[in-house]
Amino acid sequence: MPLSQPQTKRAEGVPVTSCWNCKGAVSGTHFCGACGKIQPLPAGMDYFAFFGLPRKLTIEPAALDGQFHMLSWKLHPDNFVRASEFERNLSLQRSSELNDAYRTLREPLSRVEYLLEFLNVRKEGTTKQQAPPELLEEVFELNEWLDELRETRTSGGEVALLRGRLDAAAGNFQAKLTEVDAELAALGAQWDAALDSGADEAKRTALLTRMSEVLNRRSYIRNLVDGVQQEIAAA
Amino acid sequence: MGRVVGIDLGTTYSLVAYMDAQTGAPKTIPGPYGSSLLPSVVSVDAKGKIIVGEDARDRLLTEPELTIYSVKRLMGRGVADIQDELRIFPFRIDAKSDSVIRVNLGEKSFTPPEISAFILRELKSWAEAYFKEPVDRAVITVPAYFNDAQRQATKDAGRLAGLEVLRLVNEPTAAALAYGLHKQKRGHVAVYDFGGGTFDISILKLISTTEGDIYQVLATNGDTHLGGDDIDNALMDLARREIQAKFGVELDSRGEDVQTLRKSLIRAKHELSSAQKTLIEYPLGAKGMYIREIKRAEFENLIRPIVARTMTPAKLALADAKLTPAQIDEAVLVGGSTRIPLVQKTVGEFFERTPHRELDPDEVVALGAAVQADILESGVKTMLLLDVTPLSLGIETMGGVIAKIIPRNSTIPASAQEMFTTGVDNQTAIDVHILQGERELAKDCRSLARFQLKTPPAPAGLARIEVKFLIDANGILQVAAKDLRTDEKHVVEVQPSYGLNDTEIERMLEESIDFAEQDFAERQVIEARTEADSILAATDKALKNAGSSVVTAEERVAIEKSEAELRTAMKGSDYKAMREKIDALNAATEHLAEVLMNGALSTALKGKSLDEF
Repeated sequence: MPLSQPQTKRAEGVPVTSCWNCKGAVSGTHFCGACGKIQPLPAGMDYFAFFGLPRKLTIEPAALDGQFHMLSWKLHPDNFVRASEFERNLSLQRSSELNDAYRTLREPLSRVEYLLEFLNVRKEGTTKQQAPPELLEEVFELNEWLDELRETRTSGGEVALLRGRLDAAAGNFQAKLTEVDAELAALGAQWDAALDSGADEAKRTALLTRMSEVLNRRSYIRNLVDGVQQEIAAA
Repeated sequence: MGRVVGIDLGTTYSLVAYMDAQTGAPKTIPGPYGSSLLPSVVSVDAKGKIIVGEDARDRLLTEPELTIYSVKRLMGRGVADIQDELRIFPFRIDAKSDSVIRVNLGEKSFTPPEISAFILRELKSWAEAYFKEPVDRAVITVPAYFNDAQRQATKDAGRLAGLEVLRLVNEPTAAALAYGLHKQKRGHVAVYDFGGGTFDISILKLISTTEGDIYQVLATNGDTHLGGDDIDNALMDLARREIQAKFGVELDSRGEDVQTLRKSLIRAKHELSSAQKTLIEYPLGAKGMYIREIKRAEFENLIRPIVARTMTPAKLALADAKLTPAQIDEAVLVGGSTRIPLVQKTVGEFFERTPHRELDPDEVVALGAAVQADILESGVKTMLLLDVTPLSLGIETMGGVIAKIIPRNSTIPASAQEMFTTGVDNQTAIDVHILQGERELAKDCRSLARFQLKTPPAPAGLARIEVKFLIDANGILQVAAKDLRTDEKHVVEVQPSYGLNDTEIERMLEESIDFAEQDFAERQVIEARTEADSILAATDKALKNAGSSVVTAEERVAIEKSEAELRTAMKGSDYKAMREKIDALNAATEHLAEVLMNGALSTALKGKSLDEF
C-alpha cells in the first residue's frame, strides 16, 4: 500500500556539478552553457526554480504560459528523436517535470499546496479532517438535515422542503469558500512581501502555518459542499 | 535507413501519407487500385495466404467466415470487454483467448495487433512501391481517447509490421496539424472527429511563438466505441426487423447474407448525405425482394440518438478546457461520419459557427501524421504538438479506492512519484495495481497493469521504495522503481492486464519477421523482372527489324551481350543486379532507339500529303 497520499510534487534528480558531455561546469538551468547538451535534473530543484521563478505565490499567468511554451519548445522529446538513448531519456525526464511543474503552478490553489508541501509544512492527506470550531454549529445543523433528507427519501416522503433548505445551506458554505479563497490570496500576498523584504524565518514560518490552516478549512468546506450536492442530486 | 511515413490506422479505412519535399505539403499514397483508402479488412484464402484491403472486403460477401473487419474495436481489450460487440459484430473469438483476445481466421488464430499488423504491412508495401525504397519508420495515429492498453496494442502492431513507431499521435491532434498547415489558424480550435468506430473531441489552443507554432491540447474526451459502425448497425436493426416481419426470414448475423445487406445499407447511408431519399434493396431469393425507401428525415430520426451521444464528450471537454462554445474560434470536422448533414448541423449549432470541412475528412488524419513524421525525421521543427493524457492515472489503495496520481488532460510527458512501504513485519512483496479512469473505485476503472515490489524481510514500514510513473509522449505508461535505502534500481516486471508481454511480442516478431522483410525485396524482384521482360521483348523486336543500315554489327554484338547479361541476372533474385543490367541494356540501345524513333517518325510522315500539315 502507498505510504501516504500521492506525492506527485517532489522534484527529483541527480546532483550535477559538471556537464556529462563536455565536463564543463553547468551554468544554464536546463542545458550546458558550454556545449549546449541537455542536463539531468539537479537534486532538490523545485518547480519554481525550474521556471527560474522566486518562490512567490503571485504568478502572472501570461508570463508562466510564455515560459512554459519556450521551455516546451526546447525540452520536448520531439527534439531528441535522433539523439542518444541517454539524451532521449533526459528529455523525457525534463519535459515531464516541466509539464508537472506547469500543471502545479498554473492554479493558485495547487501552487500554494505545493509550496507548503515542498517546505515540509504540510502533507496532503495527513491532516485530519476536523470541523473548524467556528463552523461547528452550522455543520451540526447541516448533518441533521442530511439525515432527515435520507430518512424522508427512504420512506418515500416529500423531500422538496428539505432540499430547499439544504440548497440554501450549500450556497452559504459556497460563499464561505469564496471568503477562504480571498483569505488565502491575502496571505499569499503577505508571503510574497515577506520574501521581498527579507523577513526572518519566524515570520515566514508563521505565515506558512496560517496558510496551512486556511487550506485545511478550505478542504473541509469543499468536501462538505460536494457531499451536500451529491445528496441533493440523489434525492 | 528507409523512408518515414504517417499512417492512419482506422476502423473502416487506413491510409498512408508522406511529406512531399517539393511542395512542402503532405500527400496520401495511392494503392494498386488508385485509391488511397485501404479498407481495414483482412481475409485468409484456402492456402492460408493473407489478403488485405479491397480484395478482402469483397470476400466479406463470399467468405465472411474467413474475413475480419473493424478489428480496431478489439485493440487492447479483453474477452469480457467485448461481449456487447459480439452481439453486433461477427468476430469469431478463439475459445482459448484470455486477457488477450485471439480471433479465428481460417485455421489459425491471431491477436488484434497481429491483424492490424497485416493492414500496416499492406500500407507499408504501398509506400515502398511508391518510393521504390524501403519504409521502416512511421508515425501512427490513435483515437485521442484510447487508453494505455489500446495504445500499446497499436504500437505492438507497428512493431509486428516491421515499422519503428516514432510516435503515436492522437487523431484529432493530427487533423489540427494538417489544418494548421493549411490555414494558419490562431486561437481555440475544436476538432470533432467522428470516424468509423471511434469518436473524439479535442480542444486545442494554437499559439504563435518566435520559434514556431505550438498546438497545445487543452482537453480531450471521447468514446472509443462510437462511430459510423453504430449508424450501420441501427440501419441493420431496422432492416432485419422488417425482413423478419414481412418475409419471416431471420438473417444469420454471421453469414454472408448479413454482409450483403450491410453493404447495401452503407450505400444508402452514403447516398443520404447528398440525396433526400434512397432505396434499400435486398434480394431474398424465392421469398422476393426487400425494397425499402428511406427518406433523409427518417434516417436522421433513426441516428439522432447516436449523434446526440457525441455531445456529452464535447461538453465535458469544453468544461475541462474551461471554455464556453462561444469561445471556440474554429471547429473542424474529421472522419467519414461527419459527411452526414445531421452531424454537421449538430456540431455547427453547438459551437455556434460553421465547421470547417475544407480538407477531405477521410485523409486529414493521415496527412497530419505525415507532417509529424516529417518533423521528427528531419529534425527541423516548425511546429510542436503538446498533447494530453485522456484519462486520469491512479493506483489502488486500501479498500479498493483509487488515488489519482496524474489527472486527465495533463500535458504529456507527465509523471508522478509514489513512496511504497510494507504494512506488516517481514512482508517481502508489495502489490501495486495501476488503473486508468475517472471513477472513485478501482472496480469501475480500467486495470492497466499490476506489479510486485520485492523487499527483504524487515519490520513493517521500514521499506522505502520510490516508484516513478511516467506517461511518455505516446501516452504510454512507463514504470521505474528505486529502493531508497539501498539507492538501487528496482526491477519492475509489469504484467499488462490486457496486452501482450515482451516475450509474446518477440515470439510473434520471429513468426512475422520473415515475410515482413521478404515483402519488399520480393516485390522489387517481381517489378524488375516485369520491366526486364518488356525491355528485352522490345529490343529483340527492334534488332529483328533493323537492317545493317540502322545498326552496326559492333552495336548488335554489344546489345546482344547486354541482353544475355540481363537474362542471367533475371534468373537470380537480386533486384539491384537486375536494375543495373536493365540500365546497361538501356544504355546499349540508346542509339538504336533514337534511330528507330526517327525512322518511325519519317514512316509516319511518308504517307501523308503536305496539306495535312
